[in-house]
Amino acid sequence: MCSVPVETAMLGKEHVERVAEYVWEIPKTFREDMRVPARLYADEDLLDAALSDNSVVQLVNTAALPGVIRYAIAMPDIHQGYGFPIGGVVATRLPEGVISPGGVGYDINCGVRLLVSLASVKEVKPYLEEIASRLYANCPSGVGSHGQLRLNNTELDQVLHQGSRWMMGEGYASRDDLDRTEEFGRIPSADATFVSDRARERGRNQLGTLGAGNHFIEVDKIAEVYDQATATRLGLYSGNVAVQIHCGSRGLGHQICEDYVSRFQKTARDYGIELPDRELVCAPFDSKDGQEYFRAMACAANFAFANRQLLTHLIRQSFEEVVAGKIKNFELRQVYDIAHNMAKIEEHEIGGRSVRVCVHRKGATRAFGPGSSVLPDDLRDLGQPVLIPGSMGTASYVLIGTTEAMRQTFGSTCHGAGRVMSRAKAKKMVRGTELREQLRSRGILICAGSMSGLAEEAPAAYKDVSRVVEVVHRLGIGRKIGKLEPVAVIKG
Amino acid sequence: MSFEEIDHTADRAFRVTGRDMAALLENAARAMQALDSDGPRSTAEPSAMRAIEVEGVDGESLLVNWLNEILYLEQAHHLVCEQFHLDDLRNHCLRARVETRECDRTYTHIKAVTFHNLKIRETSEGLEAEIVVDV
Repeated sequence: MCSVPVETAMLGKEHVERVAEYVWEIPKTFREDMRVPARLYADEDLLDAALSDNSVVQLVNTAALPGVIRYAIAMPDIHQGYGFPIGGVVATRLPEGVISPGGVGYDINCGVRLLVSLASVKEVKPYLEEIASRLYANCPSGVGSHGQLRLNNTELDQVLHQGSRWMMGEGYASRDDLDRTEEFGRIPSADATFVSDRARERGRNQLGTLGAGNHFIEVDKIAEVYDQATATRLGLYSGNVAVQIHCGSRGLGHQICEDYVSRFQKTARDYGIELPDRELVCAPFDSKDGQEYFRAMACAANFAFANRQLLTHLIRQSFEEVVAGKIKNFELRQVYDIAHNMAKIEEHEIGGRSVRVCVHRKGATRAFGPGSSVLPDDLRDLGQPVLIPGSMGTASYVLIGTTEAMRQTFGSTCHGAGRVMSRAKAKKMVRGTELREQLRSRGILICAGSMSGLAEEAPAAYKDVSRVVEVVHRLGIGRKIGKLEPVAVIKG
Repeated sequence: MSFEEIDHTADRAFRVTGRDMAALLENAARAMQALDSDGPRSTAEPSAMRAIEVEGVDGESLLVNWLNEILYLEQAHHLVCEQFHLDDLRNHCLRARVETRECDRTYTHIKAVTFHNLKIRETSEGLEAEIVVDV
């Protein structure tokens, strides 16, 4: 692989131009290999945070991808990843543009699901400790954890092709759950022929498991509502119980990404593609390699939808076991399920014309505005619900997609708080057991398998999610609807 | 010391050295395990030797594929890899044996080893590389 030298130390605030309030640009002339400008959405402080590590260099690198269109975009929660920055949105024009497995990441279709109840936190509080324990026992967590569902080859293929729809056939999902899931819980282009035996082996027993790292199940209180009419349409009422699930495609997705990043190390050369970072390896979307990755990625995405669906079933079961007959209306209804690591084929209007593009969102959320034909009938006039989880112990937000996001960011917005501190540093600064007690004293129960893993996810390691959300709200690329505050957190 | 952790905002990274490619591969495997340890990786099960064959299009891809192979053994088969014996290394192909023990769970928190900015550099003492892993 030929490499363009990257002078990471060279990129500073002097290279960034202010285009409008909260909009910053690094012009195409900054580096020879850039095909489009790089654009950051941030306030001054968030921009400074982004410039403090290699995030912005990684963003500039993505502006070199063949077929990249308009600009390489970074959301206000941008932080350093590998290959693409986390918080990055890059669209390539089809058919000649590329698809990059590194632009999706190893946790394909990592995403968030939000459930709400008509019961209030006040009613549920006396049973909260028991609910948290039951959730921790019923929803397996940790990197290699196994679920209760054992799938044979045929069943696994069905999950890879049908996603949440397979779960409905097995009695783990309702029609309403599917309607309130991005892509209705199934990406039709999935083809399990392109999924390796090794990926199947790693995923086979992992359906209905949470994983580790920053993945979690969180019981929340709907703390604030900003737009009463929209919140009511979504079933969000102040003081009521909500549950968030954050996880992805587990070992199956990791292995699919690994398989194709490894294969593309050679094939990218064959296509004559030169890149500034080998983790950005890619293939033309319409090539055999590009198509095979896309179809395998769709399998992992369906697996992730099915995984969050089975966890939803286990969460509902846990609530039922604890509060049935004790409080009324505790049933959990799905608000929406979104992906924040995915490549999607979409039509976007560019220069007055509709253009077919492959949108890579790595740590970014689709945020389609009102009128989008991909939304379910009952949400079409409203726009797509967007779920922005905060760091552990802090607030999360429900937003709604906007027309402005369609215009500016390929219908995308931020995905969370964004890290500012390394895991190693967080572990040196914070003790997991102390953090657990601190959170408990603030009324937040924590169930975690690993105390060092807990320390890595300390709130101090993240940016202020409220600030990130405020920027996207003021920019108009996501509109604030409600705020959630945690009362119990389950972690791997 | 043949390896040290280096700062990375969201994931984990380490710098590893070796007098030659074989030493770099072996030290990188040890580094990854040291980075990943979350409590003792002990098990009373008897050890078993597993043969590994990996190849790459160049040194960097061999290094990534080797480390990912170890992760695969640990995660898919619930093994703890303890000792690494590199038997044959030529033309970016490696044949090795790994001493493993079965355990009831996986101890690794690493999802995958990445190619991010990976370059094996020659130094006055041998070879050096910086590796980012996804966690």
